Amino acid sequence: MKRFCLFRLEFGRLMRSRLAWLAVFLTVVSPLAGLILYKPAYADTMLSMYLANPAIAGGAAGGILFGVLTVFEFGRAEKARVNLLMDAAVSPLTMAWVRLVSLMGAALLTAGITMAVWFPVCQRLIGSVFGAGDFILAWLIFMGLALPLGILAGASAYQFTGRTDLSLVLFAAFACLSLTVWADDWQLCWLNPCVWALSDDFSNFRIFYSVLYMRLTWLTALSAVWAVSYLCIRRYGKNICGSFLWGVRRICRPAAALALLVCAGAAYAVQPMVDHENPDLTAMTFSQMPFLEEVVCFARSAQVVPNTAAGTVSGTASYHFLNTSGRAQTISFGINPGYKVSSVQANGKEVPFSVGDYQEYNEAMLEAEIPALEEVELLIKYGGFPREGRNTSVMQGGTEISKEYLCLENAILSPRLMNVAPDEGMYPASIEITLPGSMTVIPFGSGEAQKMSENEDGTVTWRYEHNGTGGILYAGDYVRQDIRAGGITIEFYYGRKHQSVMEQAKAVEAVQAVADYCTKHYGTLSFGAGGRLKLVQSRVSGGGYATDGASLLDEADFTAVNLSDADKGSIPGEVMIHELVHQWWGLGNMFDDTDETSPWSAEGLTVYTTYRIVSELYGEEYARENYIEQWQQEVKDYYLNFYVRNPQYLEKLPEEKQLEISGNLKQVRQYSEMPLKILKAQELTGGKEAMDQILHDLFNRELDPAYPYLTYQEFLDACGLREEDLNLA
Amino acid sequence: MTMEIQIQNVSMTYPNGKQALKDLTLNLHGPSLIGLLGPNGAGKSTLMKLLVSALKPTSGAIRIDGAPLEKAEQRLKEQLGYLPQDFGLFDELTAAGFLDYMAALKNLKNPKDAVKESICAVNLKEKAKAGIRTLSGGQRQRVGIAQALLGNPSCLIFDEPTVGLDPQERIHFRNLFSQMAQDRLVLLSTHIIEDVQSVCDQLVVMNHGKILFAGTPEQLIKMAVGHVGVFWEQEAAWEQGLHITARVNTSRGIRCKAVADTLPAFVREEEPSLEDAYLYLISREVDQ
Repeated sequence: MKRFCLFRLEFGRLMRSRLAWLAVFLTVVSPLAGLILYKPAYADTMLSMYLANPAIAGGAAGGILFGVLTVFEFGRAEKARVNLLMDAAVSPLTMAWVRLVSLMGAALLTAGITMAVWFPVCQRLIGSVFGAGDFILAWLIFMGLALPLGILAGASAYQFTGRTDLSLVLFAAFACLSLTVWADDWQLCWLNPCVWALSDDFSNFRIFYSVLYMRLTWLTALSAVWAVSYLCIRRYGKNICGSFLWGVRRICRPAAALALLVCAGAAYAVQPMVDHENPDLTAMTFSQMPFLEEVVCFARSAQVVPNTAAGTVSGTASYHFLNTSGRAQTISFGINPGYKVSSVQANGKEVPFSVGDYQEYNEAMLEAEIPALEEVELLIKYGGFPREGRNTSVMQGGTEISKEYLCLENAILSPRLMNVAPDEGMYPASIEITLPGSMTVIPFGSGEAQKMSENEDGTVTWRYEHNGTGGILYAGDYVRQDIRAGGITIEFYYGRKHQSVMEQAKAVEAVQAVADYCTKHYGTLSFGAGGRLKLVQSRVSGGGYATDGASLLDEADFTAVNLSDADKGSIPGEVMIHELVHQWWGLGNMFDDTDETSPWSAEGLTVYTTYRIVSELYGEEYARENYIEQWQQEVKDYYLNFYVRNPQYLEKLPEEKQLEISGNLKQVRQYSEMPLKILKAQELTGGKEAMDQILHDLFNRELDPAYPYLTYQEFLDACGLREEDLNLA
Repeated sequence: MTMEIQIQNVSMTYPNGKQALKDLTLNLHGPSLIGLLGPNGAGKSTLMKLLVSALKPTSGAIRIDGAPLEKAEQRLKEQLGYLPQDFGLFDELTAAGFLDYMAALKNLKNPKDAVKESICAVNLKEKAKAGIRTLSGGQRQRVGIAQALLGNPSCLIFDEPTVGLDPQERIHFRNLFSQMAQDRLVLLSTHIIEDVQSVCDQLVVMNHGKILFAGTPEQLIKMAVGHVGVFWEQEAAWEQGLHITARVNTSRGIRCKAVADTLPAFVREEEPSLEDAYLYLISREVDQ
């Protein structure tokens, strides 16, 4: 009761402090930096730009501000020489608690005010894909939890040193570590969490969980540090050692500090989010395992049950082997390092198995022994919380499992066979998956999922056939539209949350126009299978990819902001066309983008093709005005640009400014200069039809597997031109 | 209501090696107004800090009503009013606000009444709502005294409380302390004899970390009888052990007052005052 009264009192005093209100005010406005200066979430989704970035910026600034405020508040009684009066009334240990809790109260109040102020701002900026749940979680986890960390760090620094100046130096060093050396370590960047993207259309469970885990680990660690510093609070005129020795007399205090330290250490060491895969990306131990002789796999199946509330997966996978060797054999599987294998049975009997410590490309190796029988059915029960790869730990979120969305890839779906060859060409697989009724299952490939049963608990069990050792499965709250175009049926899947944006962008018409045009001029998509192609909008993942019968569209390409990007098209529908043209120009390893300065990229051919489609749809005059004339103007400005004419001055600018300017110039080279060069090539090679034939031939060219990229030189050779023929200046 | 403090063989050495108190033994019990006298550096403030548990003795024990201080620390703090020699206030608060704050720290049952009472006691009614940063040095000192008086503590410890106060205020506080001491233990540290001579019923004189005297003012004066005298400077000869305590210019010349174990023949014995007795005590220490 006394402590509560003291808290009320200290909180009241704190709220009369100008410094405290300055910290509150600056914290509330600091998310502005996330819109202008500090943008750690670099994906182009609306939630990344207008929710993650302001929240992270607010958290980083708020953490620092509250840390500094804490140091000043802890040093205030000493500076004002009130400490002697206070110490005579209350123990300095009690006051340390009270000050800490009061500052926490102020932090809570600040987080509340910040959220109230930014709610309407974010809602307005994000538009139709705004969700209150994402807003609350992002602000609480990315921003709110940074404040207590700053307070604990500041308070610990003061309690250790007993000096304001030294505490500020220590705190600044600790904050700088997070912002620099630790910035790319998802567990250490306590102030600025590694969040590269938030999904607009699907859920963000995984990335919220990851940041929450990091923040709670730090909260425990800093509580432990604070508890140790609490023992060092100067008392009875003693120095740090004397006070510490006096403090540890009550055994519960050092015991609590030690317990917290152990908890924090354990939480750091046994984190469940990321695996321990080999950082050497050239390692091929698993992919180059030799096949066993005299053992083949002739069928496999799996029953997979994701728990969409907990983000976990449990499953039973069955493999049928023909073992003609006459002896026991050890079968190797790749399994997600987050999974535990509970049992392995061969023909109904338990067999020994082990999961190795070595991990590579997000897989650990499960080894199980099959007996010396000719036909063996191996049954593996597995499950757990799938981990993501350590090498991509700054881009977490890919293994999202929620009732809005999930993506199960290869060893996350079921154990992947590594050292057994298929019986006849492929591994026929039958996969069953049970999911909430609201989710649509989309096998990524030519397979079609069928509903097997609707269960009493509201879930639905789906089944599909597949060929291969792994497989990718998407499921989520999708809208499906079947579009007949380019001689194939396109199953277009996009998130229900994105429906209004897609309708506004005339997505269906754009798919139809692009598929018709590109098929006619360049050829059918190499990924179509059986006259059907699934076009699946995925959760933000940093790019699309394709396989037979399916092609992936990253949601980041279809945000409201991107769809109104004038560089890509004058109206939203045209941007949609632009993004879909990338299915022909840019998917897979089509362009080598290692040369940052080269204007040759997927964008040149895509913008040119968009112009051609738009000229067919809306007329040549419209296309000339909105494309060619715009490119010409951009290129004219580009050649007049001071830094293009005097690149030596660009090098003299600060790095950040250099990047900004060179980024803008690169965009002009790719989006305006190159389309104009292709247009010039069209004129020099004999017109549109000739260029269509050249592009058709390039699109259908025979690929060199060692270097599958389409180069600028190949383009020039196909046109019979030299590089200087296409100079625009 | 009163408190008994037993100081048993207490020594205090600071981490820098300075020995501030040497084997001190003393009993303090109320109701009483005890004056703690001694020159600067005598160890008065150190003793007071030990009594309010701001310091721990290097050796020896302090008992509060028979219980060791470590165990009675909480109880002591609840019954203690303390004014340190060098203190500050929160400038962002008003005088009343600061007292409210201190009242809450002390966990008083009726903090509002306690604040009102202490404001009245230190004559600070007019400035109660004024910001502390606007107060004069004397007014800040009064706020400091007021916070010590909050909640009628059974033990009051004042370290140089009248520093910075004008003569009228000093008299007022002297009387206030005297009044408070009627039913509690008040310990008043000072090096101003005037502050204690009219009001203290007990005196403790310290020098170099040791107690030179503990008793009533009368006992101290009695000790100095026969050791205080006056003489004319022009008639005097230098004598070892003679300590001049005052020189007054008069029309006849300079009249000196002196203390000594044995007064020389040219010194005329005089009735000692408390100040003379105190100075005699300190001079003996110097001679030794």
